[in-house]
Amino acid sequence: MNLQIRDDMPDLSMSTPLSLDALSSNLMLDTPGVDLWRARRHLLDTKDLTKVEVECALRFAAVCKKLCQLEIAPLPVLNSKVVANIFYENSTRTRSSFELAARRLGATVLNLDVQSSSVAKGETLLDTAQTLIAMGVHAIVQRHASSGSAHRLSEAFHDKVHVLNAGDGWNAHPTQGLLDLFTMLEVMPDLCGAKVAIVGDISHSRVARSNIWLLKLFGAHIHLAGPPTLMPPEISKLGVTVHNQLEPAIEDADFVIALRIQLERQKKGEIPSLSEYKKLYRLDHHRLKLAKPTARVLHPGPVNRGVELTDHLADDPELSLIRTQVANGVAVRMAVLYLLLASKEAKS
Amino acid sequence: MNRSLLIKNGLIIDPSEDRESQADILVKDGDVVMIAPHLEPEDGQTVLDGSGLWVAPGFVDIHTHLREIGQADREDIGTGSLAAAAGGYTCVVTMANTEPPIDNAAILSVLLSKIEEKAHIEVLPIACVTKGMEGNELVNMVELSGMGVVAFSDDGLPVSNLAVLRRALEYAKVADRVIISHPEDRDLSAGGAVHEGLTATSLGLPGIPGASEAAAIAREIEVVRQTNGRLHFGHVSLAASVELIRTAKAAGLPVTADATPHHICLTVDDINGFDTAYKMNPPLRTQADRAALIEGLKDGTIDAIATDHAPHTALDKQKPFDQAPFGIIGLETAFPIALERLTNGAGLSKLSLIALFTTKPAAVLDLPQPGIRAGQPANLVLLDPAHSWIYDTAKGFSRSRNSPFNGQRLTGKVLLTFYRGNIAYKDEELIQSRHKSSVLKG
Repeated sequence: MNLQIRDDMPDLSMSTPLSLDALSSNLMLDTPGVDLWRARRHLLDTKDLTKVEVECALRFAAVCKKLCQLEIAPLPVLNSKVVANIFYENSTRTRSSFELAARRLGATVLNLDVQSSSVAKGETLLDTAQTLIAMGVHAIVQRHASSGSAHRLSEAFHDKVHVLNAGDGWNAHPTQGLLDLFTMLEVMPDLCGAKVAIVGDISHSRVARSNIWLLKLFGAHIHLAGPPTLMPPEISKLGVTVHNQLEPAIEDADFVIALRIQLERQKKGEIPSLSEYKKLYRLDHHRLKLAKPTARVLHPGPVNRGVELTDHLADDPELSLIRTQVANGVAVRMAVLYLLLASKEAKS
Repeated sequence: MNRSLLIKNGLIIDPSEDRESQADILVKDGDVVMIAPHLEPEDGQTVLDGSGLWVAPGFVDIHTHLREIGQADREDIGTGSLAAAAGGYTCVVTMANTEPPIDNAAILSVLLSKIEEKAHIEVLPIACVTKGMEGNELVNMVELSGMGVVAFSDDGLPVSNLAVLRRALEYAKVADRVIISHPEDRDLSAGGAVHEGLTATSLGLPGIPGASEAAAIAREIEVVRQTNGRLHFGHVSLAASVELIRTAKAAGLPVTADATPHHICLTVDDINGFDTAYKMNPPLRTQADRAALIEGLKDGTIDAIATDHAPHTALDKQKPFDQAPFGIIGLETAFPIALERLTNGAGLSKLSLIALFTTKPAAVLDLPQPGIRAGQPANLVLLDPAHSWIYDTAKGFSRSRNSPFNGQRLTGKVLLTFYRGNIAYKDEELIQSRHKSSVLKG
């Protein structure tokens, strides 16, 4: 899909107020996609997203990205909405990214400091959400260490609040999956038949899972590489190719996604040492020569510099898409927030 | 009960007598008075049309968690034994992993008094193998057996130290009791939530590998070989486990095993997203495992159906999947599930099916053989094998509702459970519908 937005779009040079809906009709955005997002209410996973929905969100994201670049945002489209960020796990980039995205759409953002909140006093996940809903929060952006925790919230409060999963255990990190896909599509508009390698700790990676579902939807060939101890059992049944060595996975690859490896894996006996991990799986310029000459490197961050990839590679403006991913993250989250939260009446 | 009840034309299925025949049965003042091909109703008798119904000895469950003592928010002897009666049970054995655990005479006597006070059917206690379930020091097995303990188990936890298990198996001989094993290698299963494989991988949940059960069984069988002590494996869930037990039995080792209704009915593929009603330990396994369990039940490798009835509060089960406790309730659904999967689905005879619920579990723990005998108090259950109903945990008798079968249509229903001549459970509606079609006299 083509994510290019023409600079001469009249709407983009218009002053505020600016309606994304007006924009979307100008861009001939897929209306069925918009309706599907409204009906969905929550973004929990990439597993059950349809291609129509994904394309709709990414087209929106392209518009949002352009608007941000033109410094037109904040847009007054979610002015009446309150978005709460609840991060039970530490996160700098995802939380900031969601916060910026919400603010650029005009929403009020509430950041819950989980350490000092009643959560620390033993309040349950559902009680915390209930309290926020009672305060008039429209959307909860939640990160939690347990797989399925966002689903739990959406089941309990389906009609009362929109749930955006900002990472649940090892299960899903849907906005990361979408922004990775967006970033790859910007470089390569048709991913059908493209080879994408995902390298590292697949077992504990919600990013890998969210990427796999989306890349499959877009027809990419997915190759996983990592230590057998960090490879989830039977994952090849999802239609991916599993390698224990890096080289066959990245050979002729169009994209290589390096995953963050948590430093405590060694203590848990899942890998013998970081030095051995680096020897086998660290990406560098030399190893990347196996991939296509046009191949690009992604990483969900934060990078353990020198572990998953070399400093030099992480900072290589030709090969590394890491900074682009971060920039795209805001745009993708704007699109998702807008699609889920903007009420139909607001449509102009 | 001072009235008499005549059940006409029921199918009497009594494995203790190897009997499966249609007959009339007269229950008077709580005793089975007579069983004969044809009995004439007398004045003052209530007559129940039993045609199409089964009359079986009351069921025996050798693995339940009634949560008394200290976990009354989940279940107690009263609610748990009522749920059992509703499932056709007249005798259940309750596990020792309570708070505190049943590991000494003082706490056991508290439990016994609760049973005396609240039980609707016979409730027999199990005591821990080791003090505090810590896996180190043996409990006073002889003293506790003398007070009524029917078996020893640290269920919920394995006795991981094989030297301790060895001593337990040896010492239990003095008490003449069976040790019930919870076969699990806790290092292999650590952190796991569902069976390791595609489901766990897709949901991003930590897996429990099959080896955590099979490896434990393999090790423990060798300790049985060493000691010749009697060991019963609870809630066996894997094809590999069935094979190990089959081989051990063929070698003449004194091992027995049970399987739960849910493991013969559901597989890991049935897990419904992050629904914690599907979270139990051992976890739901594969289709091949399920088939092997059924085969094991048919060929006698697995001796009994046991529910592993494990009540948990809604609050606990609302936790995220990896944090929610393991276990489901099962007393009220065991029979219809087994009927569907073993008899209707796998061709097991009615007599063999009922044996899995009565004589065989009783034999595992050396309990008196259940049977329907004239001149004895009525411990029996009246079943409608064809009645189709929807299981609703909200209308159930357990204090907890954690069942994956909630809302599902089941076939086979308990109408009436007699315990020592008293009605412990009665499905009023179904009974009434039977009365309408029956001849009422007096």
